[in-house]
Amino acid sequence: MSEEIIWQTGMDEALNKAGEQGSPILLDFFNPG
Amino acid sequence: MDAVTYPNAKASKFLMENFVPLRIPYDEQPYMDSFKVRWTPRLFIMDPEGSTHHDAQGFLPPDEFVPFLKLGQAKIAFNANRLDAAVDILEDLLKESAASGSAPEAVYLNGVSQFKKTHDAVALKKVYLRLKFDYPHSSWTPRAYPYWHF
Repeated sequence: MSEEIIWQTGMDEALNKAGEQGSPILLDFFNPG
Repeated sequence: MDAVTYPNAKASKFLMENFVPLRIPYDEQPYMDSFKVRWTPRLFIMDPEGSTHHDAQGFLPPDEFVPFLKLGQAKIAFNANRLDAAVDILEDLLKESAASGSAPEAVYLNGVSQFKKTHDAVALKKVYLRLKFDYPHSSWTPRAYPYWHF
């Protein structure tokens, strides 16, 4: 059973969350098709 | 990535437990130009301040994705001079994923981290010997060549 990946969709929100958690960010540039 | 890697249980668990996952359309500005994104998949690992420490171009299957993430974690620690943390992550990467494409760079960075911690040049010679025998065709092996005589 895979764990659902909860993606951030904005750079500023991701940086804020990363700062709060002390976690790195995986940034995936994707092709929405 | 959506069809194979992200649905993989090990990959998604490791990602969610250790990273803030961020997805941006490849053509969204100003990021398309600032990250010079010209093809997908295109992945970057950044520290919480937004500095990039590791990246990849192209599809990564689950067995490559997790060591890619670990190498990114280790490079963030190494670049912050948190050498104990870098060594812990790299040792784990090499224990779990020695056959991955990230492993040769992990061997190199692990040995350099050990040397910076101890100033014992034997750590660097071990880098060269391990790369020479375990990863003779890696581009990282000649980079360690100057350490052979230590």
